Amino acid sequence: MERAQQQSSDSILATLSVDLLIQILDFVADPRDRKSWRQVCRGFLHAEALRRRSLRVLRREALQGLLRRYAACLERLDLSACPSLDDHALAAALAAGAGLWRLRSINLSRASGVGWRGLAALAKACPHLEAVDLSHCVGVGDREAAALATAAGLRDLWLDKCLGLTDVGLAKVAVGCPALEMLGIKWCLEISDIGIELLAKKCQNLRVLDISYLKITNRSLQFVSSLGKLEDLSMVGCSHIDDEGLQFLNNGSNSLQSVDVSRCENVTSSGLISVIEGHKYLQNLNIGDCFPELAPLFLSKLNDLRDSLTVLKLDGFQVFAPSLKIIGLNCRNLVEIGLSKCKWVTDEGVSELVAGCVNLMTIDLTCCHLLTNKALVAIGDKCKNLTCLQLESCKLITDKGLDCIGTCCSNLEEIDLTDCTMTNAAMKYLSRCSELMVLKLGLCDKISDEGLVHIASNCKKLRVLDLYRCFEVTDDGLAAIATGCKRIKNLNLCYCTRITDLGLKHLSCLEDLHDLELRGVHCITSLGITAIANGCQHLTELDLKHCHLVDDAGLFALGQYTKNLRQANLSYCQVSSMGLCNLLGSLKCLQDVKLVHLTQVPVEGFESALRASGGRLKKLKLLTGLRHLLSPGLIQMLQDRGCRIRWVDKPLNLVP
Amino acid sequence: MVPERRRPPEASSKSSSSMMSESPRNRKPDLPFTPFDSTNLWCGDRHGRSFLEFSPPLVTQSNGLFGPDRETKSKNQHEPSPVDDPVMDWNPRLMLSNLSFLEQKIHQVQDIVRSIISHEDQFLDQANELAAQQQLVTADLTYIIIQLISTAGTLLPDIKNALLSTNPAVGRPGSNQKQHEILPVEVAKASQYDSLIKDLNSCGGKEDELIKCSNNSGVEASEPIPIEDHDTKDNDDGMDGENLPPGSYEVLQLEEEEILAPHTHFCLICGKGFKRDANLRMHMRGHGDEYKSPAALAKPSKEASIEPQPIRRYSCPFVGCKRNKEHKKFQPLKTILCVKNHYKRSHCDKSYTCSRCRTKKFSIIADLKTHEKHCGRDKWICSCGTTFSRKDKLFGHVALFQGHAPAIPMDDAKVLVTSDKAQVSEASSGMPGNMDYNFSGNTSLDAQSPDLKGVDDGHGCFSPMTLDACNIWGLAEFPHSAYEVSESTFSFLATVPFKGMEKIKFQAAGMMNCSEQHYPVIIYIRSNKGVQVETSIMTDAHARTVSFEVPVYSWHLNPTSAEISICRTQHERGKYYKCRIT
Repeated sequence: MERAQQQSSDSILATLSVDLLIQILDFVADPRDRKSWRQVCRGFLHAEALRRRSLRVLRREALQGLLRRYAACLERLDLSACPSLDDHALAAALAAGAGLWRLRSINLSRASGVGWRGLAALAKACPHLEAVDLSHCVGVGDREAAALATAAGLRDLWLDKCLGLTDVGLAKVAVGCPALEMLGIKWCLEISDIGIELLAKKCQNLRVLDISYLKITNRSLQFVSSLGKLEDLSMVGCSHIDDEGLQFLNNGSNSLQSVDVSRCENVTSSGLISVIEGHKYLQNLNIGDCFPELAPLFLSKLNDLRDSLTVLKLDGFQVFAPSLKIIGLNCRNLVEIGLSKCKWVTDEGVSELVAGCVNLMTIDLTCCHLLTNKALVAIGDKCKNLTCLQLESCKLITDKGLDCIGTCCSNLEEIDLTDCTMTNAAMKYLSRCSELMVLKLGLCDKISDEGLVHIASNCKKLRVLDLYRCFEVTDDGLAAIATGCKRIKNLNLCYCTRITDLGLKHLSCLEDLHDLELRGVHCITSLGITAIANGCQHLTELDLKHCHLVDDAGLFALGQYTKNLRQANLSYCQVSSMGLCNLLGSLKCLQDVKLVHLTQVPVEGFESALRASGGRLKKLKLLTGLRHLLSPGLIQMLQDRGCRIRWVDKPLNLVP
Repeated sequence: MVPERRRPPEASSKSSSSMMSESPRNRKPDLPFTPFDSTNLWCGDRHGRSFLEFSPPLVTQSNGLFGPDRETKSKNQHEPSPVDDPVMDWNPRLMLSNLSFLEQKIHQVQDIVRSIISHEDQFLDQANELAAQQQLVTADLTYIIIQLISTAGTLLPDIKNALLSTNPAVGRPGSNQKQHEILPVEVAKASQYDSLIKDLNSCGGKEDELIKCSNNSGVEASEPIPIEDHDTKDNDDGMDGENLPPGSYEVLQLEEEEILAPHTHFCLICGKGFKRDANLRMHMRGHGDEYKSPAALAKPSKEASIEPQPIRRYSCPFVGCKRNKEHKKFQPLKTILCVKNHYKRSHCDKSYTCSRCRTKKFSIIADLKTHEKHCGRDKWICSCGTTFSRKDKLFGHVALFQGHAPAIPMDDAKVLVTSDKAQVSEASSGMPGNMDYNFSGNTSLDAQSPDLKGVDDGHGCFSPMTLDACNIWGLAEFPHSAYEVSESTFSFLATVPFKGMEKIKFQAAGMMNCSEQHYPVIIYIRSNKGVQVETSIMTDAHARTVSFEVPVYSWHLNPTSAEISICRTQHERGKYYKCRIT
């Protein structure tokens, strides 16, 4: 009977050719539906494999098989989440799909186990490689750069925080990849002027260059200024660069559109004026935390950028109302303004600004303490397209101000009200913004279930909800959120002490939940955790610090269901060595775990649990006392596999 | 002391004769010279004063008499400026006053010497006092000589030249004489006098203090003169691009033996040679007290600063060399040191090999040391194989040429490491011969003589490990790696049973290149019973086999194993090599 059914279904599907299947597949957008599609039959699976262009691998075990299946058509490969990826695994996987590679982009960010052998194999196997992201692979040095340099077609390369990279490695890349268009060498502290000089001479096609936090001097800028196609230059925190260096950018020989000189402490207005003079089409200017006061000449020079400038970030300046007025008059096309931590930003100033810049979509007013509701009224009045509003620590703002925002800015997607004195009424006003995706209400301790019910009633698209220390929130509020905002991805419930297992059970219907923080929610038990583990199977980050009632049962459930869990904080939980061992042994994706003050776990428990993790961990937090108790071989093994252990020494404090 | 004593009479007679002829004695009674009291001479205090007080009056006198500041100044400081323009500067009155002053000075010295003679027996008791007196006389005399010369020099510069250049020949050929002539010139600086007087007045007139003070002032004064030291290294072979027209200088050509001679300064008493004259001076102290005087120990300064000498250039004795005077584009060498360095660099064997790269060779050890400072460190290599000492130079090169990229230094380091390991394993497989006490097991010894018996040539030859031939006996000087290698391989078998005095033969190759022909070697043998035998033998650098005997009575405890250590001095001992006894 079953056999007959199989044959019949095969025959039906056989009538559909692969190209027809692919055309049908194009209508299946949701990843979960695609998963179902894959499970239909071999033909469907094959069609999906032919259609798939990008792949994000979550487990090392699956890598080889996946690549064998998808190698033919895959263009983008993301291995950044793949735990304990090393040269051997990468080379074996690449060999599995040998000769079929059309891969153009690979993301190896934070893949600390990959060395030059793996990269050499990659460059050899993928002749069309164009983009490589190796950022935060702290072990990457000159040899890895030399291996990458054999991929001559490379256009995008991100090497942020590759601490071993020196001028020699950069020179290898510069010589080997002359077509380079985007390069990030942020935090590669060994690179000096000599390397930048060679880079500028060899890679004339560079469009995007990030040289933030390098110890380079003005000499480097002299050579960077010769890059004719340069559009985006980031040099955050280059303290050796001053106005003299920026004057090299005055010649206008490059087509800069975006300049970021924030935190360059030696840069002043005069240097920025020369940058503005050289580039009439500058769109993006970030000068945060450079120098305290805006010179009038600089403000008037902004008039030169009247048509082009869209983003202006002035974090940390003293901005008086007249300055904001001039900005409002001169930069009419401004879309984004950053006034975070600016002193002397007043209602009057903000009103003058928005009167000129009616196109503003993003306004960052973090820590502008002087602002009141009047400013919000002005914003709501003028900026109809507003999508993002940051109001953290603007304590004079009340519910009334948000009334205007909620009414006028219907496109609002993100609002940060952390540490503002908001009540449930404000939530009622905000609930009019149906596009709202990010809502941060941390430290707003007057928000209660009623407010959440308002939000849940209309904000269906909410993805991020921060309720840090909102003590009034109870299980009912969570029930409302869980029913109203099905797409919540990040949920912060730290120190919402009135939440119990029931609330977590409500939350368990949030299938998209990735990041859940339950720090200090001391009423929850393993029951709630089991419900969450059951329902939210995509959970990748979980914080259970100071959840004293959570025991082994919770960990068993997590180990069984949340196979994608990458980060876990279990400090102060009442777990035993068995639960810990089970969790670390069964979660193949776990990479970052904090295990401070697990009073029930003896040294042997830690020993066996860490051995069970099989060297997948990249970050580990343990008590200093364990340093000499754990066997040196284990610590050595962990560190050899690229795990960074942070030893903390703090007293056992059961009250959060 | 003889030369110093001999000089003054000459000088004084000369000066006095000239003075006599020109003018009657001009001794003013009001001159504040201390009347010499021979009875008080004994007292150091009086001496100090007499030594002191003659000088300041000179200043006042000349001021009062001749007015023009420039002249007095030039005289006070005893600058050689009159030499530059002698005719213009010559002032007969000044000359007269100078001469009369000198005359007085000579009389003073005469008195002192006389008093020394009269108190000779007392001085015998107190050698120190005598020495101090002598010193005073010496200082006075040298002052007089200088004064005389400069006075004469103002008159006739040519005479002065001749006088000075012949001076060293008159006295002893050593450097002491010269020194005494020069030193007081500096002492005579007006400011020096002032400080000297102050010092002397403050110190209670003790003689040793006096000596110290005069000594100090002399040393201080001589310091600022830029003295060309022949021993300082001159790397540029004198190639400073100076273009002297041919014939404007005197060409000297040293012989090869002269150039290669290890020593340039010789003791006239015992004949010992030294590289530096300072070392010679230190050595001279051992030949008597007269060489211990501060003047004798002071650095001889050249008169070049005072006297223009004919330009002298040097020629390389190697015919055909551009530095040889026969060459049609002859480029002379500037100093003797340049000659030495040039000759060694260009025409001698390069016997010093860099122990790091083992390719670079040098004939001058200083060059080797300079190279070793940089060798292997911060080598910047391009993919094309070109090496650079500086990173920016490499990057400039890479920027210039298409397709060139910096090589990663780690590659080379790894290669080196592996090759080292290979050598080590190779070395340990090369077991020594077993017939007799054959040192060929120590591979570092026989790199240059593959024909040793009992040695497998293939294993015995470790050219990278080869040490400087001079190190053969200084086992303690072995570099670390060689030590370890030899430790593992250095065990040798004695197949001959000990009976009476046994002759033990061992071979040592590579000794031929030692600079010294023979040198003693100490051999220590200690058995496991705690008995130690010491033998010293003379080696022959040309012999390949060296024998030595071990008195067998020392083995009466029937040792089963023994250790042997070979070294050149007792202090080098320390490394024992195991040997088995059968």
